[in-house]
Amino acid sequence: MGVVQGDQMVLNIGPQHPSTHGVLRLKVVTDGEIVSDITPIIGYLHRCFEKHCENSTYEQVIPYTDRCDYIASMNNNFGYVVAMEELMEIKVPERVEYIRVIMAELNRIASHLLALGTYGLDVGAFTPFLYMFRDRERILDIFELTCGARLLYNYMWIGGVSHDLPVGFVETVYNFLDYFEPKVQEYNDILTYNKIFVERTADVGVLLPEVAISFGVSGPNLRGSGVKWDIRKDEPYSIYERFDFDVPVGQGLVGTTGDCWDRFYVRVLEIIESTKVLRQALKDIPATGDVHQALPKKIRPPKGSIYRRTESPRGDLGYYIISDGSPQPYRVKMRSPAFTALSVLNEISRGWMLSDVIAVLGSLDIVLGEIDR
Amino acid sequence: MTDNQEMLIQEAVEKALQGDMEAVNNIEDRVTRSKAKAALVKAKREAAKTSAEPSSEEKSEESAAESKPVPLSLNQKIAGIIASQFPGTVDEESSSETHIQLQPAKWFDIAQYLRDDPACLFDSLQCVTGVDLGEESELEVRYNLHSMTHRHAIEIRIECARNNPKVPSVETVWHIGDWFERETYDMFGIEFEGHRDLRRILLPDDWEGWPLRKDYEVQETYHGIVVPKVKEGWE
Amino acid sequence: MTVDQLIDWFPISTTWPGLTFLLAVLICAVPVFLFIAVYALVVIYGELKISSFMQDKVGPMGQGVGLHAWRWGLLQPVADALKLILKEDIIPASADKKLFILAPFIVFIGAFIAFSALPFSQTLIIADMNIGVFYILAVSSLGVIGLIMAGWSSNNKWSLYGAMRSAAQIISYEIPAALSIIVVIMLTSTMSMQGIIQYQSGFIWGFLPNWLIFNNPFMFVAFFIFFISGVAECNRTPFDIPEAESELVAGAFTEYSGMRYAFFFLSEYANMFVVAGVAVTAFLGGWQSPIPGIFNSPAWGLWWFMSKTMFLIFVMIWFRWTFPRLRVDQLMSICWKGFTPIALMNIFCVGIWYLILG
Repeated sequence: MGVVQGDQMVLNIGPQHPSTHGVLRLKVVTDGEIVSDITPIIGYLHRCFEKHCENSTYEQVIPYTDRCDYIASMNNNFGYVVAMEELMEIKVPERVEYIRVIMAELNRIASHLLALGTYGLDVGAFTPFLYMFRDRERILDIFELTCGARLLYNYMWIGGVSHDLPVGFVETVYNFLDYFEPKVQEYNDILTYNKIFVERTADVGVLLPEVAISFGVSGPNLRGSGVKWDIRKDEPYSIYERFDFDVPVGQGLVGTTGDCWDRFYVRVLEIIESTKVLRQALKDIPATGDVHQALPKKIRPPKGSIYRRTESPRGDLGYYIISDGSPQPYRVKMRSPAFTALSVLNEISRGWMLSDVIAVLGSLDIVLGEIDR
Repeated sequence: MTDNQEMLIQEAVEKALQGDMEAVNNIEDRVTRSKAKAALVKAKREAAKTSAEPSSEEKSEESAAESKPVPLSLNQKIAGIIASQFPGTVDEESSSETHIQLQPAKWFDIAQYLRDDPACLFDSLQCVTGVDLGEESELEVRYNLHSMTHRHAIEIRIECARNNPKVPSVETVWHIGDWFERETYDMFGIEFEGHRDLRRILLPDDWEGWPLRKDYEVQETYHGIVVPKVKEGWE
Repeated sequence: MTVDQLIDWFPISTTWPGLTFLLAVLICAVPVFLFIAVYALVVIYGELKISSFMQDKVGPMGQGVGLHAWRWGLLQPVADALKLILKEDIIPASADKKLFILAPFIVFIGAFIAFSALPFSQTLIIADMNIGVFYILAVSSLGVIGLIMAGWSSNNKWSLYGAMRSAAQIISYEIPAALSIIVVIMLTSTMSMQGIIQYQSGFIWGFLPNWLIFNNPFMFVAFFIFFISGVAECNRTPFDIPEAESELVAGAFTEYSGMRYAFFFLSEYANMFVVAGVAVTAFLGGWQSPIPGIFNSPAWGLWWFMSKTMFLIFVMIWFRWTFPRLRVDQLMSICWKGFTPIALMNIFCVGIWYLILG
């Protein structure tokens, strides 16, 4: 759209491309190497999630939520389930709350590992990607131990979880944490402070806080710009108030506050914070309890609507659910954080070079499943 | 109503008042269950009245200017502010303590006011949901606003006609409005006036129809490919 | 001077000089071509295995005797080569056919003819010219033409981008490389490859071999600049912007498939060998043994040359799997604002060193 100047070139990145994190098409108008305009074209992964929800029951919506952000399925489930339980005023047992927090934090670590690894790959560092995936495999093994699935779990149900923790779960996770915590330092040595990586990402794609808030950016992208906003601390849900953890914020250690390196580093620090939460949760989890105790026989929420946000690894995941008293939702709208993150791409990568566009896109950590739904 | 049923209902209501909804939900017979729920609602209302009365007495003793017996929710306060700044735009009967119902006419100015006024400072548009209120009813757009400075949130609902839905666009007030409104247009066909580039975002540009409306009929083919139909419910 | 020796060896050399020359050249060229092919197989396998060990993988593996090639998957590169040869040859309809077909050959020629001046051993060198090193530097620029042809003729914006970046990169990095070689020429007062190596015989400081890298502190700097510029000339990571996989798919070579792609691939590895070979010759003593005096027969000479070159190639592979890649403008600024001034300063400093210390 618009008139292209004579010396400008319209380039098309995607939908099939090694580093667009899914099926994303970018129409880039460049003048030599400098980019003057980017138009993301989405919708290649649209699967009518919201229409499906209107034709399924409330429990049947949960596997659909898994498939939206397939990297952080537990957090998707968590968001939906928290919203529904608030709508129906269900209180879940303690053990279920702890299990949910443990699963959500493990999935947060796995999701961040994938984000960091693929970001290194985009920038050209092949090896950290494989190291991070090796560790992510161990987390997926833990999930497989619990519910039998590695990527899409259908684990958290309204009022409980689908499977209780298997025998030996706590030791397995402790072993994993003991193995994993020194690795974060290793990643810092290989990638985070690597001079070439810093050159590629520092001062690139600076996202100012006002711009971020106006575009609805949230999560590590917003925290990388210096805004301390985390739903787990500011609008707490489940039992997050009991845990003692920090909210890392970008400070421009090697460049400007809000550049790609800050967003990357915030994710690295968040992995460490998640391990802290995990350790506390594992220590305090009640040893026994029936996880299916509070499952309602029939889910018929009262008439009304609710909008509830939870913290997914990509930002504020919001569910707007309208119920008309029947067992099927009237309307479910999923407000995905990656949708807002992608909308800010044009703003922050204008004036940079083509390689920087790839670097910025990687630092926003988008998942097309969530954007298109 | 038999004695057994009455006792069952009473037990269930007592348990539910303590927070355990399962007793009520577990009642097999539909009629009894609905009676139990009605009794529960009545019991809750009475409990609320007895707890609200002392606080309302305090309130009316404290401030003569405060005429309402229950403390105002944030939505109601903001509705009052909007009504005083932009008279005639707030739909008083439909607004409640959880949302503000607005007329579409001055929405753009109200949005700017909400973003800039120091008491409100709603600098973040969290979610724009389009709703189809029913086959005979109208369409509605619901906005969830949030303030990063004051850390408070409200919900605004704007109804628009089904046949020619038009709502002023707020994409220059909150930049994310651009994509959110395009998505609502894509799914419901609601036109946002003043949007500089209103076109479909998730579906291909030449798709016909507005999918999330309740009366949506899927087109038969798209460029020669047969479009599978969505199953109604699960059999 | 192998070609000359071969010419003398033929009894018909006086009656048909033209034919003898042709035969001699062929007898020298064919083994070099075969050597490049075999060496490419070895290096590809090495790259796969080395990268795997560095990345906590296992790489090509086999299970048992037979087609699986024992436990180490030794036939993997052969399978790769066969696959590339047997692939369908696709030429895009809108591509410029003549240039498209010609480009891989020009790139390969640029790498191949540099082999004629590499001193594999005291007696194994195809042409010991008295301008050996100068010849290699000149001839390795031929590849740029082929690269630009490849990018242009593909009629694809991505290929064009890759070709432009690549051309800029190679041309720029030849300057620091040449400046570093100038220091070597200053010290040895000869441009002949064998001459440079013969200068490096004997001991320095009593126990170290008299390699030019130990000659004076500035030679270390010259070696590093030459080596890194060489890595840039081969389009290897961290300078592999022209083939940046995650951005341009395969850069200038996006539209090539099958054997044509194999040629580009081959020429990249051949280039690596040339760069490593020149670095070894100029700075690390060529075919001189590390303990001067023993193990210096021609056979041993070949062994020393090959092992030193292979070690430098291993370092190049190591670089690729450790570092992220540089952006184009950072790459260029390193070259022009970093390496070139340092290389010029080097020449100056080595000159002063010799003026003062004799």
